[in-house]
Amino acid sequence: MTNVTKSAIGFLPRAGFQHLIELLAEDGRTVIGPTVADGAIVYGEIHHVADLPQGIGAEQAPGHYRLVHHADERFFAYAVGPTSWKRFVFPPTLALGESRRDDHGHVSFGPAPREIPRLAFLGVRACELAALGIEDRVFLGGPYTDEDYRARRANTLIVAVQCAEPAATCFCTSMGTGPGIRSGHDIALIELDEGFIVTAGTPAGSAIVTRLDLAEATAEQLTAGADQLAAARDRIGDPVVTAGLHDRLLAKLESPRWAQIAERCLACTNCTAACPTCFCTSVSQRSDLDGHTATTERRWDSCFTKGFAAVALGGNFRPRVQDRYRQWLTHKFATWIDQFGTSGCVGCGRCITWCPVGIDVREELNVIAPPPQVSAGPAEAAQPHAPRSSVFRVEGVRRETHDTVTLALSTPDGIDWSTARGEFVMVSLPAVGAVPISISRRLPRGLELTIRAVGPTTTVLTGLERGAEVGLSAPLGHGWPVAAAQEHDVVIVGGGMGLAPLRPIVDEILAARSRYGDVHIYYGARTPSDVLYTEELAAWAARDDLEVGVTVDRADATWLGRVGVVTHLFDRARWDGTKALAFVCGPERMIQATVNALAGRGLTPDRIFISMERHMECGVGLCGHCQVGPFFVCKDGPVFSLAQLGDVFGREGI
Amino acid sequence: MIRAATTPHPRLGVVKLASCDGCQLTLLNLEDELLAIAERLDIVEFPEATSHRSNGPYDVVLVEGSVSTPEQLEQIHEVRREAKLLVTIGACATAGGIQALRNFADHDAFRAAVYAHPEYIESLATAQPVADYVKVDAELRGCPINAAQLVELVTALLTGRRPNLPDEAVCAACKRAGRVCVMVAQGIPCLGPVTMTGCGALCPGYSRGCYGCFGPREQANVSSLSRQFISLGRSPQEAGRLFAGFTGYAEPYRDAIVELGGLPGASLAGERAHRAMGAGVNAEGKS
Ligand code: SF4
Ligand code: FES
Repeated sequence: MTNVTKSAIGFLPRAGFQHLIELLAEDGRTVIGPTVADGAIVYGEIHHVADLPQGIGAEQAPGHYRLVHHADERFFAYAVGPTSWKRFVFPPTLALGESRRDDHGHVSFGPAPREIPRLAFLGVRACELAALGIEDRVFLGGPYTDEDYRARRANTLIVAVQCAEPAATCFCTSMGTGPGIRSGHDIALIELDEGFIVTAGTPAGSAIVTRLDLAEATAEQLTAGADQLAAARDRIGDPVVTAGLHDRLLAKLESPRWAQIAERCLACTNCTAACPTCFCTSVSQRSDLDGHTATTERRWDSCFTKGFAAVALGGNFRPRVQDRYRQWLTHKFATWIDQFGTSGCVGCGRCITWCPVGIDVREELNVIAPPPQVSAGPAEAAQPHAPRSSVFRVEGVRRETHDTVTLALSTPDGIDWSTARGEFVMVSLPAVGAVPISISRRLPRGLELTIRAVGPTTTVLTGLERGAEVGLSAPLGHGWPVAAAQEHDVVIVGGGMGLAPLRPIVDEILAARSRYGDVHIYYGARTPSDVLYTEELAAWAARDDLEVGVTVDRADATWLGRVGVVTHLFDRARWDGTKALAFVCGPERMIQATVNALAGRGLTPDRIFISMERHMECGVGLCGHCQVGPFFVCKDGPVFSLAQLGDVFGREGI
Repeated sequence: MIRAATTPHPRLGVVKLASCDGCQLTLLNLEDELLAIAERLDIVEFPEATSHRSNGPYDVVLVEGSVSTPEQLEQIHEVRREAKLLVTIGACATAGGIQALRNFADHDAFRAAVYAHPEYIESLATAQPVADYVKVDAELRGCPINAAQLVELVTALLTGRRPNLPDEAVCAACKRAGRVCVMVAQGIPCLGPVTMTGCGALCPGYSRGCYGCFGPREQANVSSLSRQFISLGRSPQEAGRLFAGFTGYAEPYRDAIVELGGLPGASLAGERAHRAMGAGVNAEGKS
C-alpha cells in the first residue's frame, strides 16, 4: 500500500530501515539521529543503521543516567537523552553579525555569513515535537522574530518515533504532550520488534514514504502498536497535576521551599541547557586587536547565571540562587502560559536526569504548589518582522554632568523616527558593545539620548564626538501613555537619570499645552552637580503653566534649592491626586517611595505609570534577560501601570 | 576619535613569582597574535621571552605565580607601585596554585621532609594569591590560562571595552559543546558545576571530571556538590581531596577541604619529616 494519502499507513520491515536513511540522504539531507557516545544516547550524524543504538536503552533517575542493553533488536527503545533538537535549530553559539568602525568613527553593520544546513531529524519523540512547537511560538509567534531559527526550522524534515520505553523521569502525560504522536511530524514511526508502522504527516513526508518498500500494516501490528503506547502511558502515570498549576504556583512566590531548593541547587545551568524549550541567550562582541572589526556572537545563556539579571553599577534583580530557581520554575510552568499561551514544559524529564544533584521538578511542584483548581491561558499571534536598525551620526554633544552627556543623533538615511512609538533604542558600537538607552527627546530627523558612563560601553559612548557614528535600532518597547493624560492633571516624578525618559512627556505636553490640566514636575538628584538639563528645568520653572520642583540628596555651597528626597517636594502640595495621572522613573527605591506617596494622595494603580529597569540584551522579547513575572520588560514595557504589574511590583528577587 | 594614532604604545610587563612559567608559555604560544600584540604594546619585561629586564613603570603588568618567599613579597609591592593596571594570570597568582596546598599542612615539617638542607630554604609559611597582598585590577584564571581569554583580555584593554570573560559554570560551556555530563552518565565526580568557565570544558570532553583549574565561580555551592560526591560513593575525606587541586586554597574550596577532614598529605608530610629526622637519614636519601 503505497498510495499518496496524507497519512499513508504501511509497514516497513526492519531490514528496510537502511533504505529510509538513504532516501533522506538522497533528499540532500544530513540525517541526525540517536547514536551512542560518551555513555549516553545522543543525537549525531547517522549514515547507516549501524550508527543507531540497536538493543541499547538507558536507565534514568534524578541526577542519574546509565546505558543498558536490551534483549531485543530495536533501534529506538530508549527515552530522550541529554541532547535536544534545539541545538540544531537554535545553535548554542551563533554569529549574528559583523560590524566595523574606522579611525574616523564611521560605522557599518552587516549580517554574518550563514549556511543553513538541510537536515532530517530521525527519532523525534512526542514531547520533542511539542517542544519544537513551543519554540516556534517563542521565536516566530511574536512581533519580532528570529529569522535564523525560521530558516533552520524550514530546512528540516522530521521523522518522529512513538515512545515505547519511557524513562522514570518522563512526565509527558501530565504535560499533555505524549507519549502518543499527534502532530508536527513529516513522517511518524511506531517501532515493533519486526519493523515499523509508517505514517506520513505532510506532503514532504509522503514523498519519502511512497518510495519505501512498504507492506500493508496488519491488524495485529496496529494492535501491538496501540498496546505498546497504552503500556507506556500507564508506566508514566500522571506525576504532576497541572490543573490550576499556573495560579497555584504563582500564589507561592514566598514559599520557604525556594530557599531549601537553593541549598541543593548548584546554579550550574545544566537544567536550562538540557531543556528543549529554554531559549535565553546573551550577546557579546569579539573584535580584532584594533577594535576595527567585530563579530557579534549570540550564545545560550541561562537565568541561573549570576549576571543574567544584573544591571549597571552592580545592581542585580535576582541576586540569590533561590530567586533564580523561582524565576525558572515559575516561568516554565506559569508565566510562560501568560506569555505564549502554553506551558514552557513538555515533560521530557531532562532537567531531572541531568541535574547533577538530582533536583526533581515534579517533586518540587507538588511540594510548593499542591493540587488542584482550574486555569487556562490565551494564545496570541502577530505580524512577523525583524527590528529595523540604521547608522546614526552624532550631530551634537552636550555635557550634562561629569559622567553624563546628551547626544543628538540623526540618520543620514533620512529615516524619520520622530513619530515612532517605542521608548528606547539599542545603541551599538562595533567592537565595543550594545546597550539599551531610553529616548530623551524626539527630533524631526533624529533623537536625543542622554547617556551616563556606568560601564565600558557607555563610557565609550559618552566620549563620542560630533561626526562619530553609532548603530541604532528602531524605537522599541511601550512608552508613556501621554495621550491618556489629556484632560487630566499630570504629575511627573523623576529621580537621577530617570528624568531623561520623562523629558519627551514634557515635550509632548508643551506641544499641546491646553489639552492638559495642571502639570507638576518633581525631580530629585543626588547632588547639585548631578542635576540633568539644568537650563531646561529653569526654563520650565519660569513658565506659569508648569510647577517644577527640584531637590538634591546632598547639597553643596552653591545650592540654594531644596534638600531631601523627591517625595518631599509634594508632601504639602495642594493638588488633588484623584484627577491626575502620574509618570515616574528613577532608581527602584525612589520609585517605591514615590508610588507610596502618590497612592497616599489618591492616585489609583491604573493611573500611576512607572518605567522599569532590567538587564536587556535583545530588546525584542527573544533573549529572556529582562523578564519580570509574566512580562518581558523590553517588549511589554518598560513602562507599565501599577495595575498591570500587580503584585510583581516591589517583589524581591523577581 | 577612537584613539589618537600617535599615542605611545602602552607598556606591558610580565612578572613571575612562584610558578612554573606555564602561563607565560601560553602567551608565547600565541603564534598568530603575538606579533600583532607586540606591534601595539611595548613588551618591556617578559622573563620567558627575553633576558631584558625593566622595572616599570608599566601600563599593564601580567603577574604569574603566587607569593611564596619574602623576596616575592617585596617584589609584588614594588610591581604594584609601578603598574597602572595589575592583572594576575593563572591559578598560582589568582588562587595560590598547587604550592598553596602546603598551607593546609605544617610548613616546617614539609620543608624538612622535602629538602636536604631545609635551613637554606627561605620561604613564607604560606603561598598566597597576589590579591592577598596588593590590589588586583583584573584576573585571568586557569592552570594554565586559556589563550583565547588572554587575547580577549588584551584586545579589550587595547580597545577600551569590557573583556568578555563570562562568570558561569564550566557546565555552561560543556553543554554548549554538546558534551555528556560525566557525573550523571558515568558517576565521575566533577567540579564543573562550581568551577569558573574558561577552559572550554576540556576534561569532561575526555571522560574526566573537572579538576577545578579555573577556580571557584561566585556563589559556588560546594557543600551541595560535596554531598553529591559522597552519595556517588566517595568518603568525606575523598570528597574533600577532589577540591584540593590547583585552586584548592581558594575559598570556598579551601573550606570544603577542611570541613571534609583535611588532606591526608598534611599528616603524611609531618610523619615523613619525623621519620627522616628520627632515623638520622637526610631527606636526600629518599627518592
Ligand atoms: S536545578 Fe539542578 S541543573 Fe538546574 S541549575 Fe540547579 S543544580 Fe543545576
Ligand atoms: S527578552 Fe531580550 S531584552 Fe527583553
